Amino acid sequence: MTVLEKIEKFLMAEVAVDLDKESLQPDEDLLGSGIIDSMTVIKLVLFLEETFGIEVKDEDLVPENFQNLNSMVEYVERNQGNR
Amino acid sequence: MDFELTEEQVAVKKSAVRFAQNELNDEMIERDRDGAFSRKLWLKCADFGVQGAAFPREYGGGDADILSTVLLMEGLGYGCKDSGLLFALNGQMWTVQMPILRFGSDGQKHGYLPKLCSGEWIGAHGMTEPNSGSDAFSLSTTAKLEGDYYILNGTKTFSTNAPVADVFMVFATVDKSKGFMGVTAFIVERGFPGFSVGKDIGKMGLRTAPMAELVLEDCRVPVENRLGKEGNGAAIFEDAIEWERSCILASLLGGMERQLERCIEYAKRRKQFGRPIGKYQSIANKIVDMQVRMETARLVLYKVACMKQAHGKATMDAAIAKLYLSESWIQSCLDAVQIHGGYGYTTEFELERDLRDSVASTLYSGTSEIQRNIIARLLGL
Repeated sequence: MTVLEKIEKFLMAEVAVDLDKESLQPDEDLLGSGIIDSMTVIKLVLFLEETFGIEVKDEDLVPENFQNLNSMVEYVERNQGNR
Repeated sequence: MDFELTEEQVAVKKSAVRFAQNELNDEMIERDRDGAFSRKLWLKCADFGVQGAAFPREYGGGDADILSTVLLMEGLGYGCKDSGLLFALNGQMWTVQMPILRFGSDGQKHGYLPKLCSGEWIGAHGMTEPNSGSDAFSLSTTAKLEGDYYILNGTKTFSTNAPVADVFMVFATVDKSKGFMGVTAFIVERGFPGFSVGKDIGKMGLRTAPMAELVLEDCRVPVENRLGKEGNGAAIFEDAIEWERSCILASLLGGMERQLERCIEYAKRRKQFGRPIGKYQSIANKIVDMQVRMETARLVLYKVACMKQAHGKATMDAAIAKLYLSESWIQSCLDAVQIHGGYGYTTEFELERDLRDSVASTLYSGTSEIQRNIIARLLGL
């Protein structure tokens, strides 16, 4: 399973479960739509840290890294590359 | 797991108790009645090292570890009857100073922290708005970048210290379409064009901690006064509030210990039907429950302090601590009044003030309902 698929699976199961959606588009705006909000981001950060072995710093919690699935994948891969 | 405090940590608490008992309790009934903030006491606290305790020496701080800071605040809570003053101090330390330390540039740290640690300046926090409380990130205050300045527009409410503050940690959205990740933090000085402090807000308790609205009308904030990146405000706010949740409660713990000792002493001395009231099971049980709550609260609080020292984060445990200590504090205050009977209800006995002050504790830094929401989310619910 790719990084994108793992994140999408998590979001669909844990965050977007009430939204009556089959999938998330890679460039779908997750912030503006409210799919990721201030409460769900806590769980998302824990998921990213545990699944990909990265540290999500507070200063990284900005739209560039969390706007959509593509930006999250880029963030994870960049972070893994820096380890 | 080591439950023993070091000699130095015990000394910190003792020293804080002595300082508070000797220096911070004058004219308490009158100051509460008048809702009077005391800058004199604020400066005494700064001289003692309260505001700077947990901050590096290069910014005028004391470089204390987190548990020592918690013990300092616990000692103040035990010795100081002025819960409003302690609330105001905590508000500045954790929601103004700490975000600057953790997210600020070198210029921001050197520019603001020494003044705040020394008591020269007072800091206030501006997040809550008339229409956004628990749903904090739905705020309406906007920030628009124009050249070298952000232009802020909006109104903040329930800003502790605002009437006397020199610097304000203000949150505004730079892009509403980015949801909570549009929220951005700004350091606003009192003299910035377009900034003003609105009317004082009267309240049930914590009356010596002044509170007011903040009004931002085309307020010009230099770009260098943005704290962190654009959109990083929610993370900055959450980090600050977690610090506040972890540490503001220490003063409540000290207050619980003070009340418990007072209730034991009263229950031994006060006689009804020929016996000390403490010999009646209904009173003794109440005091036992106060003791159990205090000891369990202490364990929860110290655990959070140790976790934050080791890992920096303690989201679940900080929420548990906030929920448990605030609700325990209110119950302790109610029990203290009940044990003292009619005397407990009088101003002179100074227990009714603790009760009035305590009610805010399940509201500020996130209500009990929000703490339960956080815990539920982290349990996967």
